[in-house]
Amino acid sequence: MTLSACGSGDDGAASDTIRVTLANHVWTDNIKKALPEFEKQSGLKVEVTQLGEDQLSDQYNVKLNAGSADIDVMMYRPLQEGKLFARNGYLADLSELVKSPTWDFSDFQSGPMEATTYEGKPVGIPIITEQEVLYYRKDLLAKAGLDAPPKTLDELKDAAAKIKAAEPDVAGFVARTGKSTAVTQFSSFLYSFGGDFVDGGGKAAVNSDAAKQAYAYYGGLIKDAGPANVSTDMGWPEAMAIFTQGKAAFYTEANSLYKNATDPAKSKVSDQVGFAPFPAGPGGSKPYNIPSWALGVNASSENTANAWKFIEWATSKEETLAQQKSGVPGARTSVWASPEGTSTFPEDMVAAIEASNKTGVGHDRPQVVKVAEAREIVGQPIVDAITGKDAAAAADTANAAFQQFLDDEAK
Amino acid sequence: MRPSPAYRVFRVAALVFVMLALLAPLLWMISASLKTNVDIYDPGKALAFSPTLDNYAKVLQQANYVEFIVNSLWVAFAATVASLILGLPAAYSMSRFNMRKSALVVLMARVIPGVSLLVPWYYVFSNLRMVGGFGVLIISHMFVSLPLIVYIMMGFFDSLPAELEEAALVDGLTHIGAFRRITLPLSVPGIATAGILSFIFSWNNFMFALVLSDADTKTLPVAIFDFVGYASIDWGGLMAAATVVTLPIMVIALFVQKYVVSGLTAGATKG
Repeated sequence: MTLSACGSGDDGAASDTIRVTLANHVWTDNIKKALPEFEKQSGLKVEVTQLGEDQLSDQYNVKLNAGSADIDVMMYRPLQEGKLFARNGYLADLSELVKSPTWDFSDFQSGPMEATTYEGKPVGIPIITEQEVLYYRKDLLAKAGLDAPPKTLDELKDAAAKIKAAEPDVAGFVARTGKSTAVTQFSSFLYSFGGDFVDGGGKAAVNSDAAKQAYAYYGGLIKDAGPANVSTDMGWPEAMAIFTQGKAAFYTEANSLYKNATDPAKSKVSDQVGFAPFPAGPGGSKPYNIPSWALGVNASSENTANAWKFIEWATSKEETLAQQKSGVPGARTSVWASPEGTSTFPEDMVAAIEASNKTGVGHDRPQVVKVAEAREIVGQPIVDAITGKDAAAAADTANAAFQQFLDDEAK
Repeated sequence: MRPSPAYRVFRVAALVFVMLALLAPLLWMISASLKTNVDIYDPGKALAFSPTLDNYAKVLQQANYVEFIVNSLWVAFAATVASLILGLPAAYSMSRFNMRKSALVVLMARVIPGVSLLVPWYYVFSNLRMVGGFGVLIISHMFVSLPLIVYIMMGFFDSLPAELEEAALVDGLTHIGAFRRITLPLSVPGIATAGILSFIFSWNNFMFALVLSDADTKTLPVAIFDFVGYASIDWGGLMAAATVVTLPIMVIALFVQKYVVSGLTAGATKG
């Protein structure tokens, strides 16, 4: 299947109004504030529709399926739905457009770009990146006599057990526990044990020795050092709440959520939160480094040239820098390299991100078309391990189901 | 015979238990809407907290909720009235002239999941350049409310004695006159039931409004998601918005409650 190239020949239909669909995100708030400047420069008008992430998906699925030209620029999640959208031909091929000279395509980090490339063609431009880091409580560590955050997963386990034993009200460790939602944050554990969801030959690999160890470690850590009577459907809002209410010492989570922990209006421990690179396992420290959001052009849009003008502006060095200054990590190497680009992040966060940029893996979930379904399958052993069932057996079961899923999808 | 004291104690305890179970989420919603985001997560401040109206200020001032409330009211009201105008005569004729096959077709519309119609609808309405306007929202909501009204009212009309109308016909009224002067005034409880249920369905409808509305015609259930962001959820604002969505319906329901119950039972005893 080829993507229809709509870039040429439809200049006649081009309108001065660009219809942009964006998700609720700090990035979006920032862009909306800067819009008048773009409208003035370009003489174009931008109409923004803003929705929650799942509502956005629903809307794309209906509108793009109907071949609508009502959307020009679309903000989407490359890893959650990028493959599906690209395969369905919703995303325009940007190969020619990214050659724009002053914009500097080569500046984008390769990991995130991988996720927005389909069959060798760029179909999206990453705007927000995300890495998994270790959140920790400085005061609790000091109290337990630890002078530095753990560097390895073994040290993390010991430190979490120590704090849990010393402070009966506080969990040593907390993380997501919900079957599907935990998958992304579990992925860094999987990679750091030396595993991955799929092996080099495209076969399911969630029952490899490394994967079995990772499931047992993650589930065991939550079972032994986690909150008492832990529920197995915590997503980030619940896990983050436990951490920000001061009820946990360590928390592995996406760095994009850090303001929830450091903002006094949301967190009781805002002045005691520290960040560290993801602890190393037998396979080293291998957190994910992924684009959580990207901008693409609707393949049915009749306004491709102007849509690209918007993307070019929104992903320019200047805008990326402005975004990063307000705490939204971007995908441009040059912005990360400039001191200004990291000036507003906590210092230890910058160090953690730099470490992730070097060793990070470009995906945090299975790279398939039906991502939601795949997450349910590979997430089951996480829940089983947390509830004390045999993680290895659960991994075998999940692997068989996952292989079946991959076979069905390949048909 | 007077009920024994033990029975009365049991009855009160059971009532309190059921009330609490049903009201707990609602009370949580209202209390959370009066808290700051830090306090919402703190179990120690479940009951004792210093209330704030900031969330409501945010919802009603910054987030433009007044506009969304007006949108929702207008769509729900128009869809309900239009459905009543079309649905009452339809239900009456289906009931009086035994048009069971037509009734079945209407029932089908009730059974088909709305989501399966979204893509074709979107396609049709966007070609008609109607997407984003109130017209398309009202029409799509009528798809839910019209069959509902027809079905409730068919049961209701079945339960009204046909002799009343026959007497009216003997006295010189036409069929339409009898419907208008005799049947409709007797059907007020049924109409109230059908109307309020249709209004509630329309008020709560999320799916059609999500796809078919735009920034200017957004209804409340869609607008509520503005408080859920990718990396931050404003629980206080969300709960205040949810309260704003719920309250009008609760007030309306309290007022028309007695009609709703009598209307439903009247339809239920027959057919």
